[in-house]
Amino acid sequence: MLNKLYTSEQTIKRRKIDYIILFAVSVLAVFGFFTVLSAVSGLSYGTDVVRTHIIALPVAAGAFLFGWLFNYQIYNEQYKTLYGLILALLAAVLVFGIVSRGSNSWFRLGFISLQPAEICRIATILIGSSFLIRNYQNIKEVKTLILFALLILPIFGLIMLQPDFSSIVVTAPALLLLLYAAGVNIFYFIVLLAFGLSAALFPILWTYISLHPEAVENSIFFYVIGQLSSNWLYIGGLCCLITVLGFFILYLLKQFRLYIAPFFVLAVCGVIMAGFFSGLFVNKQMKTYQRKRVEAFLAPDSDPKGAGYNVLQAQIAMGSGGVLGKGLFSGTQSRLGFVPERHTDFILAVLGEETGLLGTLFVLALYIILLWRTAYIATLSSDRYGYLVCCGIFGIFFVYMIFNFGMLIGIFPVAGIPLPFISYGGSNLVASMWAFGIVESVYRRRLTIN
Amino acid sequence: MKAKNFFDQSRLTHLLFLAYLAGAVIAFKLVDIQFISHSRYTKAAEKNRTQILYQTAPRGRILASGGELLAANQTAFSLYYLPAFEESSPDYIETYAEDVSNFLGSDKQAILKLLKKANKTGKAVALAQNISPKKAFSFAELQNYYTGLYLLEGTKRYYPYGAFASHLLGYMGTMDNKFWSLRGGSADYRLNSKIGKSGIEKRYEKELKGRDGGLLLEVDYMGRVKKKIKDNKWRAGSDIYTTINYEVQKAAEEGIENSITGRGAVVALNPKNGAVLAMVSAPDFDPNIFMPFSDEENKNAKKSISEYNLAIQGLYPPASTFKTITGIAGLETGRLDLKEETTCSGKIIMNNREFKCWGTHGEHIDFFKGMEQSCDVYFYELGLKVGASHIEKIQRMFRFGKQTGIDLPGEKSGNVYGPSKRAKNKTYWFGGDTLNLSIGQGELLLTPIQMAVFAATLANKGKIWRPYYIEKIVNANGKTVFEAKPDLLQSVELKEGVFDIISKALKRVVDNATGRGARVEGIEVHGKTGTAQNPHGDDHGWFMAFANRPGEEPDFAVAVFVEFGKGGGSAAAPIARKVIKAYYGIE
Repeated sequence: MLNKLYTSEQTIKRRKIDYIILFAVSVLAVFGFFTVLSAVSGLSYGTDVVRTHIIALPVAAGAFLFGWLFNYQIYNEQYKTLYGLILALLAAVLVFGIVSRGSNSWFRLGFISLQPAEICRIATILIGSSFLIRNYQNIKEVKTLILFALLILPIFGLIMLQPDFSSIVVTAPALLLLLYAAGVNIFYFIVLLAFGLSAALFPILWTYISLHPEAVENSIFFYVIGQLSSNWLYIGGLCCLITVLGFFILYLLKQFRLYIAPFFVLAVCGVIMAGFFSGLFVNKQMKTYQRKRVEAFLAPDSDPKGAGYNVLQAQIAMGSGGVLGKGLFSGTQSRLGFVPERHTDFILAVLGEETGLLGTLFVLALYIILLWRTAYIATLSSDRYGYLVCCGIFGIFFVYMIFNFGMLIGIFPVAGIPLPFISYGGSNLVASMWAFGIVESVYRRRLTIN
Repeated sequence: MKAKNFFDQSRLTHLLFLAYLAGAVIAFKLVDIQFISHSRYTKAAEKNRTQILYQTAPRGRILASGGELLAANQTAFSLYYLPAFEESSPDYIETYAEDVSNFLGSDKQAILKLLKKANKTGKAVALAQNISPKKAFSFAELQNYYTGLYLLEGTKRYYPYGAFASHLLGYMGTMDNKFWSLRGGSADYRLNSKIGKSGIEKRYEKELKGRDGGLLLEVDYMGRVKKKIKDNKWRAGSDIYTTINYEVQKAAEEGIENSITGRGAVVALNPKNGAVLAMVSAPDFDPNIFMPFSDEENKNAKKSISEYNLAIQGLYPPASTFKTITGIAGLETGRLDLKEETTCSGKIIMNNREFKCWGTHGEHIDFFKGMEQSCDVYFYELGLKVGASHIEKIQRMFRFGKQTGIDLPGEKSGNVYGPSKRAKNKTYWFGGDTLNLSIGQGELLLTPIQMAVFAATLANKGKIWRPYYIEKIVNANGKTVFEAKPDLLQSVELKEGVFDIISKALKRVVDNATGRGARVEGIEVHGKTGTAQNPHGDDHGWFMAFANRPGEEPDFAVAVFVEFGKGGGSAAAPIARKVIKAYYGIE
């Protein structure tokens, strides 16, 4: 291995695979395997989990190989077929799928369950990238964005029907990052971001107000916002206010001889209102357990035995692991069941408890290495499509990383998002391996296509 | 590197920078949680996985001098609830509480409160204590349905003879605030610990307690026990060997119980060293009612008992028994001539007031006759001859008006009666007071134990021993940690022959006259009756005595007091007889 690091530039140019990514995903998968093994020891269904994981590992390796060997440009050429295939798959799961844990998102084939949403996540990036390079000339126009949204909407709609909320939570921000990388007009990007944030923040704000009624009493601003979630009179008032405010700003700008197209002001007002109504929609759609998660995020100590219990116990597990950890298979928090969802969403807690700070930092470092390498390979890509696909995969794993780590360290609410490669979940592992196989495919073909 | 594609790569650089930043923030937080706050989280993790259950050590036993177990221990179980960490539904807790309370036969709301408390604090709670082994056996059934229940073996106090010597032994109960603030910090006392509330149980709490054991358990998030991490065995408390003679105590208790009122006190001492052979106070109580099995039906558990220990706290005029003192005063001053005789016409007139005798005893009443018949007229005249201050002096020589010093809380000191006492209180002494004093009536007050010490002092010719009831204390390793040493408080020095004359007079009382009720064949019994006038009801009966086998030194002294017993000879003397017979083993 070592002497290969000192090989000549010529050899590097002819190299067909990026060893760093290969190394990182392999180590992560091995790490993940042992962590899952430890996490499920003692669980009644532990052997099933391990068996499935053992089957998934070679399949995932195959997916990696397939991604690497298969010319990624074929995805671009056949993006309509891919799109139809994905929609058909998502529709089929609604009809033929089985309901597990409240959502209808699994195919059952013999003794194996498949979760098509995991594959769709990568496919969405492939399709999105395809669309963007086809409209590259008009990338800065609003029309492209609207068409892009219309393209994605059916996929999201079918996923919401399952419903698989966490899948959207990962894919939507990843698509935003993809759009940013594709060079969307920064103004539109900010508008989109504002829309997304207000759709997410309004429900959080209302939950906050319901948790702290005393804050409302002391502030008219909070009072009005609190009332907005329920009172149509206030909603109408707000719409009028924003419109009036918009025209007033327009008038002021005119006075100072700053001519800005009225469209922009209208767009800002429209986005705020659209975000608000989306927030209203999300707020109404939120299930009790999801609201509890938001509450637990806003006030983790208020009810340590309630919804905040999960995060608290996960942090106790990680914190008690210390620097070196308690040793694999020796974590009391996980083994005795205090950490919930210990082999899926909260697997990092098991890892942290048993391998300590060294283990968590090592996994974090591998993730950073993967992101860095993916971004680097994007720049090596010989065509726009490869570049954008790498950016999208970068976006997905970036989102995974900050959401999963962020949930454990308490800077994001619990959203049921696993940590790819480490968490148990065959479909996720296969899809992740496929994704990095595609990145390797971009690397492999960096020189051959022009 | 020159870009081959046509995208603005600075956008991707932004994103990569953002990823590095996020990584740095995450790494920082990880270091905070896993390194900086490590010890805090370790504590929390340990608290999660461990539960400590305390095992109350068996209390030291209390034994009679013959080895009879007066206070022992029984196997009893405690039911603990190990809390679950995940929030369980209110319905589940409701049914949990209902089924457990049905099983235990206890209040559902109380159980529910305990369950909720445990779930909130994460610490195990005892749902029930003192579960009988029989009940515990059927417990397995309940454990199948509910997780978090744990049955712990322990012991509870048990008094095999029920109310036997209850005032001396005391009883057990829950801690009061004062005790909690003093001892609560130590590992051996917890909120539900039981402590001695009176008698030996209270006085020797420290010795009897022993060291509690602890069970360190590893539990999972459902409160299921995974393993025992550590098992600290308890160390039993020290055994207390009392000087109580089981047969004597039993005879005395039966005697009082069968007396006309069933109320009174008996104190029996060994005059050679002051050892308490029996101490009875009636009404008594059964200390077992405070420590029942949880499933036992307990009708007596009204928990209001007479804690009043009549033997050391009851104050009564000694009445005719005091004539012994008047006689000693006469002999000591030389003003009593044994040959001198007087005539009892049933009364004596002084200062135009009539002082009655309890009977009309006729002519030729000398000292011995006066004692035998307990003739008041004889002692009125003797008292006038001797003078009140001499009688008061003799009282003080016998430590009247002072505590006997027995190691029990709440002992009363009684009241000395005489001219100097009056002078101290700045009132006058009248001639009639001398008459009252010489027959033991008036303001003079004694406790039964003081009477017993007086009898013992007469028996051993002047040695006043401090009464004691603990022979020795032996700890769990068999080592004697305390051994009684008789404590001579005072020696009464009288003229040669005075004690012999008094002994002779007291023997004649029992052999021939008022004390006949205490006669025992083959034993020399010396005694004096007393009937204390009671303005509030029936008179109280006294009898004090000492005894010996013929030709031996007196080795048994006893004072019997029957409240509202009407007469000393009729009520108290027969009890003394039973007690003496029990001591000497005469059927």
